[in-house]
Order: sequence, then C-alpha cells, then structure tokens
Amino acid sequence: MESDTQRIAVGLRRRDFAVLETLVEQYQYRLVRYLASLLGRRDGVDDLVQETWLRVLERGESYDGYSRFEPWLFRVARNIALDAMRKGPMFSLDSHEGDGVRSLPASGEPSPYTLAARTQDAERLAHSLQTLEPACREALVLRFQEDLSLQEISGIVGAPVSTVASRIYRGLAALRLQLEGYPA
Amino acid sequence: MNIDHHGTFQRMIDESLAGVLSADKEQSLRAHLSSCAACGEYLSATNRVIAGLSGFSFEVNPALNARVMAAIRVQAEEDRGILARATGTMRQNSVPFRNWAAFAGALSLSFVGSELVYQMAARLTVPMQIDSAQLRAGVLAFWLLPSLCAALCLLAAPGQKRGLA
Repeated sequence: MESDTQRIAVGLRRRDFAVLETLVEQYQYRLVRYLASLLGRRDGVDDLVQETWLRVLERGESYDGYSRFEPWLFRVARNIALDAMRKGPMFSLDSHEGDGVRSLPASGEPSPYTLAARTQDAERLAHSLQTLEPACREALVLRFQEDLSLQEISGIVGAPVSTVASRIYRGLAALRLQLEGYPA
Repeated sequence: MNIDHHGTFQRMIDESLAGVLSADKEQSLRAHLSSCAACGEYLSATNRVIAGLSGFSFEVNPALNARVMAAIRVQAEEDRGILARATGTMRQNSVPFRNWAAFAGALSLSFVGSELVYQMAARLTVPMQIDSAQLRAGVLAFWLLPSLCAALCLLAAPGQKRGLA
C-alpha cells in the first residue's frame, strides 16, 4: 500500500497540480514561518516562498518518498534563502559557523517574531530570539516549532547531529537566562 | 545532592527535550524529577520557553497560495513548451524510417548486383585472361562503391524526395 510520502513523491514526479496545490496549502504557513525566522525579517519572504515552490516543481523527482516531506522542503527553502542572501544586498551574510546562516533585520524594521507576538511574554521572547545566534535560532525553530528530529535538522542545515544538539542547548540556555533568569 | 548532580540531570533534561536521550537515561531522569524540586523547576522553565516558541502567530498573505499556484502553472506551461520544441527539433533532425528502409534496400541491391556483375564479367573476360583480383578491383571501383554512395544519399535525402519511389 502506498504511503502519503510515496504519493507525494509520485505526484511530484508527474508534476501533478492537485498534489502540488495540496502541498502548498498544507505547508505554506510553516514555510513562511521558517523562512521568516531564518532571515530574521518578514520582508521578501513571499518571493522566496514562491521561488521554493517553483524549485519543488523543477526538482520534485529528487524527493524519494521514503523520508518525511517537511525536511526535504525546508532544505530546498534554505538553499533558496542562502542563494538570495549571497546575491542580494537586502540580506547580510556572515558565516562564522560555516553553514552560511547569519541574518539581521533591516535597521528599524521589527523582527518577524515581534510582528507575530500577541502577548507581552511573546514580545520578550521575540526580542530574545532576535539576539540569539541565527544558527541556534534556526535549530530551536526546527526542533520545537517544526517538530523535526535532530537527524532531520542535521540533513537540512548540513551540520553533524552533535553540532545541531549543541546549538539547541546553547539556544535554550540563552533563552532560559533571558526569560527565566536561569544562569547558563 | 550537590550542584554537579543537578547539572548532570539538567543537561539530561535538555537532551531529553532535544530528543537524544536514551531510554534508560530517560527513566533515571524521570525518577530524579519525581523527587527534585530544583530540576523540576528547571524543566518547567525550559518548557515555558519552548511553549513560547509555539505561541507566535505569523500572518500569511491570503493571496500567496493563489500567487504561488499561478506561478507554478506558468512555469509548467513554459517547461511544456520548451519540451515540445525540443521534441520537434529531434523529430526534424532524425532520419525517418522510410529513408532507413530505402537505404537497406539499396544496400542489398548493391551487393547482389555487384556479385552478378562480377559473375557476368568473369565469364565474358575468360578469353582475355584477366586476373580475378583485377576484375574484383574493377567491380569494386566502378560498381559497388558508386552504388554504396547512392544508397547513402538516400539516408540524407530530404522529406518529399526521399524513398525508393
């Protein structure tokens, strides 16, 4: 019997519009959230989302259907975002950890988390997130917002599982210190 | 319990939340948490941070899905057009079956005809005592090679003029 992921893989290979439409509806919000947190800004995210789905259309046959779809989608989105960072002046890139993630919001522009905060606690968390190393923030978002395993995150960011784990510990420690007063 | 002991368990809490703690360590962590208020508070604080991460509500442009699907359709149409053009060019450049059939026929006739010409020439030239090697060379140069060239021309013949007819 064909699993959901295998149905997706077959649909992508055939460039089935119905499958693509379902995927767009199902994953659009998470894609926007991931790209906004990756870039540290909301501006320009819609263009990258569109670019990501066009890449999915173009390279859909490379999804094997044996693993979950989300990590594959996020890896595509991440590559698109990194390309945009390298090409465009709108994003800054400072790859001190070797995987190319270093983004900052434009001066004066509120972060996507500040825009998405609905409570005072959320505003504090938004501020703390913005001060985190982007690589740690990305690891936290992928683990706790997107509910991905460390192996899946490792596949997306192209770093060893141990590195991803240490980013998560560092990120949690920093947020605990800022929000709960726990020393690291 | 000393601070290092708490430190070890708090590290295990982080590992558990990251999803990398082994089952037996998970069990010993649970046993510790049931009796340690400090580590329990550490877990609660960490869970509050994690819960906060899920508390954001990002706004998505309501027209984004339609925009994406429209772009996908345009791209797919373009790809289909490119594919159709490429297939058309390949068809134009490929040698049609009729030409191959004409070539095969001409090739067979060339060899059969050459053999017949050789046999006939051998009988007619008996009184002249011509060497058979010379006769073969003559048939090759003046019969077989020109017929092969003619057969090859059939392969390169353009659409309307191609074929045996």
